[in-house]
Amino acid sequence: MTPMPVRRLVNPRLGPYFAIFASACVAIIVLSLIAEQLGATPAHVRLLILTAPLALIVAIGLATRTGQASEFFAAGRRVPAVYGGLTFAISAFGGTGLLAITGAFFLIGFDALCLAIGGLAGFVVMGVLLAPFLRKFGAYTIPSYLGARFESPALRVVSAGLICVPVAMFLVAELKMAAFAGGFLTGASTYTNLVLAGVAVTTTILAGGYRAVAWSGVAKAILVIVALLIPVTIIGIWLTNLPLPQLSQGPLLRSFSRIEAAQLPIVIAPGLAFDMPGDALTALGKRYAAPFGAIGPHGFVTVMLTMMMGIAVAPWLLPRIASAPGVYQARKSLGWATLVFGLVMLTMASAAIFMRAILVTDIATGQIPEWIRTLASLGLAEIVTGTGGAEAGRVNLSGILLSRDAVLIALPMAGGLTPVFAALVATGAVAACLCGAASAAMAFAATLSEDLWHGARKEPPSDKVRITASRAALVAALAGSVVVAMAVEADPLALLLWSLALTGSTLFPVLVLSIWWKRINGYGAMAGIVTGFSVALLAIISGALNILKIDPALAGMFGIPASLVATLATSLMTPTPSRHILEFVRDIRVPGGEILYDREMRLLRLKTRKRSAG
Amino acid sequence: MIERKERKPYWRDTKWQMMASLVPFLAVVIVLPLYAERLNSNRFLGFPLGYFLAAHGLVLIAVITVASFVNRQDAIDHWHGAHEDT
Repeated sequence: MTPMPVRRLVNPRLGPYFAIFASACVAIIVLSLIAEQLGATPAHVRLLILTAPLALIVAIGLATRTGQASEFFAAGRRVPAVYGGLTFAISAFGGTGLLAITGAFFLIGFDALCLAIGGLAGFVVMGVLLAPFLRKFGAYTIPSYLGARFESPALRVVSAGLICVPVAMFLVAELKMAAFAGGFLTGASTYTNLVLAGVAVTTTILAGGYRAVAWSGVAKAILVIVALLIPVTIIGIWLTNLPLPQLSQGPLLRSFSRIEAAQLPIVIAPGLAFDMPGDALTALGKRYAAPFGAIGPHGFVTVMLTMMMGIAVAPWLLPRIASAPGVYQARKSLGWATLVFGLVMLTMASAAIFMRAILVTDIATGQIPEWIRTLASLGLAEIVTGTGGAEAGRVNLSGILLSRDAVLIALPMAGGLTPVFAALVATGAVAACLCGAASAAMAFAATLSEDLWHGARKEPPSDKVRITASRAALVAALAGSVVVAMAVEADPLALLLWSLALTGSTLFPVLVLSIWWKRINGYGAMAGIVTGFSVALLAIISGALNILKIDPALAGMFGIPASLVATLATSLMTPTPSRHILEFVRDIRVPGGEILYDREMRLLRLKTRKRSAG
Repeated sequence: MIERKERKPYWRDTKWQMMASLVPFLAVVIVLPLYAERLNSNRFLGFPLGYFLAAHGLVLIAVITVASFVNRQDAIDHWHGAHEDT
């Protein structure tokens, strides 16, 4: 048998391919502008701007069709750092992050930073503590890493069952958000949009698995960045005369905070308060730059750390590190993810500041601006006159109620751009949702098929069986999530926060200790995972039912320490891990040498072959 | 491939590098937002300073942390012969 080639071939034409995709996106925008000027109906223009880039993305997904397990589950391990980082950054929070966090920035200003900073720190922590080692191990799912690391099929099956819950929550949140953003473009009912989103995700990734997730994900990320940067930059130039919106809004923020100071009170939230705006119409509650008006300082830090730990072990991100070409590249892709995530987050914050500036100056004139009337006719805004000390018949800042998720899409309308740009932002949001949904769906499917279906088997089945099982699981997972998204009324941002609190509590302590603490054993890991999950789930349920007077998003505060204590205590009370496992940990810690998962698969295959020959 | 006796020093250096990257970063991330209110009375580029540091400043700090970690850790790998053979 020839040895495995060490250097994996990275496609040298990736740059040109995605440059072509990016220019195709820009060309589609220009074409829609031309079509609009020529008198095409707005509905047609909206459909053009949604379907044309999505058709390209689905085509990329279909072109990555594969029948090999290492291609299907790890994208052939040849996704370079820049491209890996791009998709990591966009799919971490997905479209829920894009729309809902921009809305949160708009409504509660500084306090929304806890989500953004948490995500950012999550990438740093993942890059330093986990990613290089999981890449060296190279498993396709987190449960199969845990199962091999602790030599315990039971742990593999149990952890697979538990992480399906947060992954499904994230998937449902993304589908709901995709239906919301798609509703602007297609005009169809929510149910139709949910089904369309489900079908779009399925057709994109069914043929290629993680390979399709990786490459169509890059295309989606490029579309998101184009769709976010172009309108925000144009409005930034109009309002501040400078092209860098992220840095130029300082004076603007200063000038509108004077008007805010006259109309909005100073609010100080109690320490553990967590008043994240929900999906109902909400009025501006606090001044933009003043901290801790809606979220108390302790709540801020808790949610930030929960987000950090949740993102660092998110099952829809972490397994994809297996597709990096090497350990060095795995570290580097987290670096790129940090950079891209930071820039996107700052752009979202500047979109929120522009929106506030436009709203505040428009209201200061005493008239109700046209764009708010348009939004109100769509049911995304409400105007209450005579509140907050305004004279009867007049309106001031606290009398404007806006839908959190519509803020980003409303920005081009408020800034006076043509409807094409609102449609473009909505398309970007749909792309971000599909990016998040695709990686969650694939992680869900891989966990179901690899760890629950074949998890208890010692030897893996043939590539063909694995891929077919995983495709079936993918269709089932997506169909199930679409049905749940139709049936359950829930706020996508809340679902995202709960899912991250659950993931962090279930996996973070165990995964980190499994690399950095040699004394941890299988019993400790099992105890940590089960305790963390159940404590966090209990905290979420009792928080949501208002039994505990604490917001469910703060559940990580109980779950993560509980999991840590359970892991440490149980490990110390049970026997030390065997010599064989210690040798295995030493191997994980060193970057050089063969990928451990591939070595294990090869040895198992040799054993099976020998047995059938003898 | 790394030599057996190099493993201990390699892991010691890796551990220190992990501490050196994460401890200052986490300290800043947790502490800085809590002091934002007091910093907000100052201005930078027109921004209230507290907000500017919590948003733009932390992004910059995170990117520098990861970039320096990637470089330092790569140097540690090569120094101990633990790097991947390409």
